[in-house]
Amino acid sequence: MPAKKPVIELNGLVKKYGIGDAEHRALDGVDLRIDAGEFVAIMGPSGCGKTTLLNVLGLLDRADDGEYHLDGDDVERFSGGRRARIRSEQIGIVFQNFNLIDRMTVIENVALPLTYHGMRHIKRLEAASATLKTFHLSEREYYLPHQLSGGQMQRVAIARALVNKPSLILADEPTGNLDSRSSHVIMEELAELHRRGNTILMVTHNPNLTSYASRVINMLDGRVASDKKIRVAAVSEEQTIVLRTPKKTTASGELAPKKATKKKRSKKTAKEKKS
Amino acid sequence: MRTLFSDYLETAVHSLRMNRGRTLLTTIGVAIGIASVTTILALAAGVTSAIDRQIQQIGGDVAVVRPGFTPSNGLTSPVVAQQFGTSSLTRGDVTAIERLDSSLSVAPIMTIEGTLQTKSESLVATMVATTSKLADTTNLPLDQGQFFDDTSSANLAVVGAQIAVDLFGTDNPIGQQFTTHEQRFTVIGVLEKLSNPVNYNNVDFDHAILIDFDKGELFNQGRSQIQQINIRAESTDTLNKAVAEATALLEKRHGEQDFQILHGTDVTSITSNTFHWVAIVMAAIAAISLLVGGIGIMNIMLVGVAERTREVGIRKSVGASNLTIVAQFLIESLLLSLIGGILGVVMGVVFAFTIALGLYFAPVFTWQIITASLGVSVVVGGIFGLYPAIRAARKDPIESLRQYR
Repeated sequence: MPAKKPVIELNGLVKKYGIGDAEHRALDGVDLRIDAGEFVAIMGPSGCGKTTLLNVLGLLDRADDGEYHLDGDDVERFSGGRRARIRSEQIGIVFQNFNLIDRMTVIENVALPLTYHGMRHIKRLEAASATLKTFHLSEREYYLPHQLSGGQMQRVAIARALVNKPSLILADEPTGNLDSRSSHVIMEELAELHRRGNTILMVTHNPNLTSYASRVINMLDGRVASDKKIRVAAVSEEQTIVLRTPKKTTASGELAPKKATKKKRSKKTAKEKKS
Repeated sequence: MRTLFSDYLETAVHSLRMNRGRTLLTTIGVAIGIASVTTILALAAGVTSAIDRQIQQIGGDVAVVRPGFTPSNGLTSPVVAQQFGTSSLTRGDVTAIERLDSSLSVAPIMTIEGTLQTKSESLVATMVATTSKLADTTNLPLDQGQFFDDTSSANLAVVGAQIAVDLFGTDNPIGQQFTTHEQRFTVIGVLEKLSNPVNYNNVDFDHAILIDFDKGELFNQGRSQIQQINIRAESTDTLNKAVAEATALLEKRHGEQDFQILHGTDVTSITSNTFHWVAIVMAAIAAISLLVGGIGIMNIMLVGVAERTREVGIRKSVGASNLTIVAQFLIESLLLSLIGGILGVVMGVVFAFTIALGLYFAPVFTWQIITASLGVSVVVGGIFGLYPAIRAARKDPIESLRQYR
């Protein structure tokens, strides 16, 4: 078990939208503590403030009131430039719609966060390549995002979120745009990350996915409605057994049929010739 | 930061390459402005260097006496106006200056217009009435024949290289004759082609005919109308002494200062000042076209920013600060304008030499002109790229990420 060190500490976090009568509190005093190594699933109906919470935690948005300590730092007080640096060093975000840059290759997309560390080009690509390898995407390094399936794109996005070894991974409905088979592959990846000691915070609508998490938080009207920890070991062990099987057969290129893989490979060689 | 820079350069090149047509049109906008600025600067530098050549030709030992007084503002009273007034310089002044020990040789210059006639041709030209000393005070190499001297009283003439061809149809008209003011002249010398109509004598010797000073007076109702007296001192060191003595002498003779004695760069300052101001005004007008080019850049960059809103959002979410986003788009607009600048300088070189085909001087391209042109293009890119870049940086990442394409 990893040491119990708080990654996130929220005290009375408030986020308001609108003014006067139209004022709406998307976050209405959220108190939360998330320790290192937890896999937290945040559930709740639409408009309960899940995504707003994720945006504030990802430093994409500022809270109007309350405290947010990330790794012990009160990040709400930090300047824009400092927050940008924290985004690049301590946080990795996975989006529902993948948010890869279309005109950049897979490896460049994964290497993008390292750009803002001032890492040299070759080093960046090496690091990105190493990360992609753990996601079995080495063969797809020089594909463009539109040449990949949804599941592959999301794995690239997860690789990007992970490439600078963040202390916190935020995932906003990571399987929302995927079919159920790809969803399970993605969830298995996240579970694997969790097993390796990463702290993950995932927003989801799908109650089935909470079974991967070590802790499930329900939100309602901008507040934490319920918060329960699940016995991690037992659940994830079971899941592993079930999900290992499909994963093995698809180690190289997900669940795509063989024909398609061949086609893609020929495309790749054509592209290599071009460049 | 250096890594970021090279990275952004790569991104910028990529994005400019993706929209080739758009990039080309935008750079042409800048290029035209830069081309006109470059052309004007190069032509102005050409004029300046032509004038500088005159100063070198004068040498350090020649001073010129001119009638009247030129106000310091050369633009409002160009030297030509004096031709219509009566000159305050007289023949007596010339002989008096000649007597000074400090002046080695002295030559008056008086111009008269007249019709020259041969058996087959007739044309109006400028005649320069002077003495044989002109050859000593001005560098006038002869192509053929000889200069007239003061001893012969015959009607002799030395003709310019171009007028020889215009009047006689040959570049060797020695011995041929022409008539003007009912007197017949014989050509005894032909000047070398000089190709410098702008010079400190204010005479285009290629198109002029030199005759004896006495004849000039005769053609001008018996009065001399000296527009300039050239004084050559023994050496550069004694020129100041010669100028001082001549000044004192003429003041004494005239009783007041109705003349000026110039030497060195003073001689050409009126002409060069005029060209200087003309060039500045023209460059300023050309700069307006740069403004249009700059607005073109701004427009295209705003389109580019709008198109890449989602990319900005993604970059911010993975750690780009506002400053790095500004840098990214600014580098792109700088690159755009720099390409336009380089294209413009090349176009400017072509334009300037094309225009110069019809002029008597060649354009001059110094490294200063090229640097200035490229510098201006970069400044334009910076100024007009800043607003789109800041706009991109100010985008809210959450809003940006919501934008689907």
